[in-house]
Amino acid sequence: MADADEAAIHSSSTPSTQEDTDLDDETQDFRILNNLTFARILTGTSLSDPSNASLPRRGEKDFEPNPTLHQADILSASRNAMHNALAHPRLHFPKARIIAVYSPDGPTPPPAPKNPEPSSQETGSETPARGPKKGTGIVIHPDACAYVINPKGQHFKSLGQADSWGRVWLLPEEALYLLERGTLDIRWPCSMTGEDGEGPSELPMSLQAAYTCFIGRDGLTVERFSVFSGLRRLGYVVSRAPGWYDSEEEVTGAVQARQWPSINGLFGKFWDWFYSSNSTATGPVAGLGIHRSYNDIFRKLAIIPWYDPVTPKPPQRTTPPFRVVYHIYKPSTTFKKTAPPPPDFRVAVINAQTQPTIPTLSQLGALLESTPLDPPRGEKMSRLLYMRLRHGYRNVVLAIVDHGVVSYLRMGDAAFGKERIYDKGGLNGPKKGGHLHPKGNGR
Amino acid sequence: MNTTPTLPIPISYISGNYYIFSVDAATYLRREHHICGVLIGTLPLIPQQNVFLGMPLELMPEEARLLVEKGVACIVDEKKAHNDGIKSLLEEDRKRYIQDLESQGLHARRLQLQRQEQSREEALRKKEEKKAAKMKKSAEKQQQSPAAGDVAEENSIVDFFAHNQQKEQGSGSGSSSSRPSSIMVDEPYGITPTTSYPPLSEAFSDKLLPAPDVRSSYPLFAHLHSKGYFMSPGLRFGCQYMAYPGDPLRFHSHFLVSSVEWDEEIDLMDIVAGGRLGTGVKKGFLLGGAERKAEVSEAEGNESIRMFSIEWAGM
Repeated sequence: MADADEAAIHSSSTPSTQEDTDLDDETQDFRILNNLTFARILTGTSLSDPSNASLPRRGEKDFEPNPTLHQADILSASRNAMHNALAHPRLHFPKARIIAVYSPDGPTPPPAPKNPEPSSQETGSETPARGPKKGTGIVIHPDACAYVINPKGQHFKSLGQADSWGRVWLLPEEALYLLERGTLDIRWPCSMTGEDGEGPSELPMSLQAAYTCFIGRDGLTVERFSVFSGLRRLGYVVSRAPGWYDSEEEVTGAVQARQWPSINGLFGKFWDWFYSSNSTATGPVAGLGIHRSYNDIFRKLAIIPWYDPVTPKPPQRTTPPFRVVYHIYKPSTTFKKTAPPPPDFRVAVINAQTQPTIPTLSQLGALLESTPLDPPRGEKMSRLLYMRLRHGYRNVVLAIVDHGVVSYLRMGDAAFGKERIYDKGGLNGPKKGGHLHPKGNGR
Repeated sequence: MNTTPTLPIPISYISGNYYIFSVDAATYLRREHHICGVLIGTLPLIPQQNVFLGMPLELMPEEARLLVEKGVACIVDEKKAHNDGIKSLLEEDRKRYIQDLESQGLHARRLQLQRQEQSREEALRKKEEKKAAKMKKSAEKQQQSPAAGDVAEENSIVDFFAHNQQKEQGSGSGSSSSRPSSIMVDEPYGITPTTSYPPLSEAFSDKLLPAPDVRSSYPLFAHLHSKGYFMSPGLRFGCQYMAYPGDPLRFHSHFLVSSVEWDEEIDLMDIVAGGRLGTGVKKGFLLGGAERKAEVSEAEGNESIRMFSIEWAGM
C-alpha cells in the first residue's frame, strides 16, 4: 500500500514506467511530443485529460556528439519540437473563458455601490465552487490575492474560497498554477493600470507578470510553488498546512500522540521491573535463574534501550525549513474544501541551496513529532515485517528542490525495537537480508 | 526559429531566482550558448504530467552569471520593472496592445477552425477510403481479374486528393480564403501572453542588477562549460552538476560533477560513495576545483582548474 503511494509520488504519472528510472529524471526528447500535440490540436481543445491517453516512452539518446549530419538533423528536429511545444500559446475559448482579477492588497469587498457584474454572473449556471452558503461571512484567507469572477470547471472543487458575492478568491500559488496551465485569464485591476472604473482591466496578466507578482508573496517561494504545481499536475490536491507561516505550529501531532501510549508505557515499566530484578552488571548477561524458553532469554538479552515512537514526548519546536507546509490528498480521496479530510501525505519543502546539509536528528525528530501518529495498519502491514518498518509510526515527505528540480524523500519513524523477531520464529518479510529500503529512514 | 533575440537578453530576477520567459531567448541560449536551465512551468498543451514542462526557464545563478560575463544577458529586477511599467503604461500603448492581442486571438481562432475542418475532411476521406477498400474486397471476391484495375484507379484518385490537401495544408493562410465553408470568425480567443514585453517597454537601464553571487563551484562550472559541456543541476544524482557532452535533449550525461576547494580535505567516504553512484548510473564521478598557484601569470588569471574523474573499479 505504502509502496504504491510512494511509487505514485515518486515516479511520473505514467503507469507504464517499468524502468527503474523516472521519465522525468532526465531531459526528454520533445520530438515525442509531436504526435501527441498534433493529435490534441486536431481534436480541438478538448479539456479531457490527455496524459492518460499515451505518454511517450523514453526517447533514444546518443552517447556523444559526432560530426555527422544525421545527428545534427535529429538534434535540430528535437529543438524545433521543443520550441514549438514551448511556444504554444495559452488560449481561452471565448465561451469557456474564466476571468480573474489580481488584487494586490489582498481580499477586498467588491466596489460598494453597484455590483452588477457578480450578480449577472450568478444568474448563470450554478458553480461547484459556491459550496458554502452565501452571506455567512466566510473569512477569506488573508493571503488570497486574485478573485475569479465566473468560477466554473472542475478546478474550483479543490481550489479557492468563495466569498459572499459569488467570487472565488485564490491564493497566489493557485492563481499562478491556473494561469500557467492556461485555464485562467488574470487581469490587472483598473486601479493599477490607471484606467477609469473599477474591477478588471482589459489588460491580461502575462505569465511573466504573474510570476513577478505571486512568487515571493506571503511565503510563496518558487520552491514551494514548484512542489505545489508538480503535485497538482499529477492530480494530487495540495493545500497549505499551518506550518506555512514561521510563527504557527501544528499541534495535532502532539495531542493525538498522548492517547494510548500511556498504557503501553505502564506495561513496559512492568516488564522492566519484572525482568530487571537481578542485575546484569555481574554474572551472566541473561541473568541468573531458571529460563524455561528462549524467548525469556532473548527478552533479557535486550539490554540496549530502544526508541519507541509511540511514547509521548514534550512537543518540540520545528525549525524552518523542516516544517510541514503542504497537506497532500491523493486523487482518489474525496476532498471537500470546507471540511478537508485528514491528509494522505505531509510535505516539507526544502531549498537545497539554502539548506545544503541533511537535517539533524533533532530537526527531523521535531518535524516527525509534528505529524500525527500513523501506525502501520491493515492486513498486509501486520503480515509483512519490512512493510511495517518502512511505513513507520509517523511519516513525512521531504521535497528537496535544487534549482527547479524536485526530489521527494519519505521519512518514516521506524520502530525496530517493537519488532520482536524471536517471537515470530524468524523473518517472514518479502525479502531476507538486513537492509532497509533506501527511501525509508530508520532512526 | 533560428532567430537571434536582441542582445543583451533580459534575465528576470524574481525574489532570489533567475528566469527566462521568452521562448526565443530560451531556444537561442540553448543553441548558441549551451545554457539549458530547468523548465519549471506547466505546459499548457498537456498540463497533467511532469515529463514535459514549459516556460519559465529557471537558471542557476552560475548560468546567469556566465551569460552576464559573456555580455549576452543582463539581470533585470522584474518586480520593479513591473511595478513601474504597469503604472506608467500609456493609454494608447495599452489600447494598441489589447488590439494586437485580439487580432492574434482571432488568428488563432481561424487556425483552429481550419484545423478542425481539415481533420473532419480527413476523417471523411478515411471513411471513403475504407469504403473503397471494402468495395474492392467484395469486388475481388465476386470477380477476380477485371475489376481490380478499376479500383486501383479509384484509389489513385483518392491519393491525388490527399496530395492536394497536403499541399493546401502547406500553403497555410492561402487555403483559408479558398475555403468559404462554415468558418465563423466571430469571437477571438483570449490569450495569456508569456512575457510582459510588450506592452512594457524594454528600457531596463534603471532596473539592472549586478551579476549574481555564485557558489565557490563557479570556476569549475565555467571551465566545464567553456569545454563545451552542457551543465544542469545535479542534486537528483547526488552531485552538484551534471555534465552533458552535448544537448541533454539528445545525449546522456557523462559526469557527475562535485566541486571542492583546493586545500579542502575530502572525506574518503565521499569519494567511494560518488564513485559507486556514478559508476552505477554509467557516469564518471568528477571532482574538481580551482588550483591556486602563486607563480601563475597574471594574464592567465589567478586560477587554473584541475579535475579528477573517479570510477568504481571494485572487485
